[in-house]
Amino acid sequence: MTKAFSIFGSSSRPHLGPFEQQLLQALWTRGSATVRELLADDNIHQAYTTVMTTVDRLYKKGLLNRVEEGRAFRYTPRHTPEELQRVTALESIRQLLGSGDASSLPLSYLVEALSTHDAQLLDELQLLVERKRLELQSRETKTRENAASEKTPPEQR
Amino acid sequence: MFALRGIAVSLAFFVLVYCLLSAVVAIAWRSLKLLHATERRLTDLFFAVRVLPLLVSVVVTFAFVVPSFQLLEPRSLNVEEGIGAMPLALGICALLLIACGCWRVVAAQTQTSRVVARWLEGAHRLQVDTPAKRDAATAKTKTVTFCSRPEAPPLTLVGFRQPKVLVSESTLALLTHDELQVALKHELAHMQSRDNLKKLIFRFCPFPGMAKLESAWSQAAELTADDAAVSSLNDAIDLAAALVKLSRLVPVETAPVCTVGFVTGSIGARVARLLAWNEAEADATRQARMRPWYVIPPVLMALLCVTATYGPVLALTHEMTEWLVR
Repeated sequence: MTKAFSIFGSSSRPHLGPFEQQLLQALWTRGSATVRELLADDNIHQAYTTVMTTVDRLYKKGLLNRVEEGRAFRYTPRHTPEELQRVTALESIRQLLGSGDASSLPLSYLVEALSTHDAQLLDELQLLVERKRLELQSRETKTRENAASEKTPPEQR
Repeated sequence: MFALRGIAVSLAFFVLVYCLLSAVVAIAWRSLKLLHATERRLTDLFFAVRVLPLLVSVVVTFAFVVPSFQLLEPRSLNVEEGIGAMPLALGICALLLIACGCWRVVAAQTQTSRVVARWLEGAHRLQVDTPAKRDAATAKTKTVTFCSRPEAPPLTLVGFRQPKVLVSESTLALLTHDELQVALKHELAHMQSRDNLKKLIFRFCPFPGMAKLESAWSQAAELTADDAAVSSLNDAIDLAAALVKLSRLVPVETAPVCTVGFVTGSIGARVARLLAWNEAEADATRQARMRPWYVIPPVLMALLCVTATYGPVLALTHEMTEWLVR
């Protein structure tokens, strides 16, 4: 897992090339595959050697496990997409907190981001509450009007 | 030596049963979430499951291990016999576990008392302007409500022997009269459920991996208190509004253990649930409440089984004690 961290840059997404991401995605979909099986995928239009080299690179980055199967290897993703996302996020936060001379500064950015997110969520919730209150008030007004009209004798209407 | 051996063996059994059951609970409690139960029932179930290892280990120790040792262990043969390495080690573990539990309880109580005393400096009993004393719940709350310092949480229930509901000045300024009333009812529901005492009991039975179960209990307890506080859609909207308003007040310091804050758990989920409040569903929930006499038949059956098989079970327990000593 620690080896996998080294591939992440400062961004919150793994530092993988587009083809590496495509192969990883294909392996997550299939569960496990050999290079030949990956090539059978309609979306992969590369030479056998290119796929083999890229998959080998992913293995060396610690993202895949492999077992021998005849003269080839069968590759399996080492982490689920969720696990990879979680460790990426954690590593990004760690890098963020560890960066710079003033260690409290990145933390304050994080708090600020979370506070903004919270404030947005609370604004949305408040809007929902107000809408529901208005809805209830209008319903009560209608009920009262209906009750009043039912009480009024027909000749006075 | 006989008494010492008895104590060591009993403590060893206690710690073994406690750890085994706690490990099972820590792994298997999530299956309770699959039950289609009301929030009140879920809260009770989470609490029961959390304290089950402690209860069962105490019952097994006092109902089976101690009597089996007293009745079946030959005293005369044990004069030269030592305590045994295994019972001694496990007994020490049990003592450490009990000491740890006691220390956690005392620490939580001390910390709560210290923090609450600071919050209450210069506080005064609050006169909640209730239009009438028709509501017994509100009247009861009125006697225990204080206006606390601004750095205290917005609205919180503290203590369990003489519980108090603390309301901060900012809360009074923010909430309307109806919102405050329903929020106080929510805290009163926590008071009636003795949630602070339950939190203290959790502290007494430490085991790794129980934090998520406690957090699930806490969330379920909040939803139960919401249900108890609300009796109409108007109440539900007022409570949701109070929740959103008080969520904007950031508490200056973390609340101690023996307190139940109003703004706890997932605010989004609580507000969404309140806004979807439905009278028919609320009635069904109230009717579905478990009556205490439902547990009488299973308890009687269990007692009958234990009485019928007590002798063989004691013999079996004694054999296990012997195996533990050797």
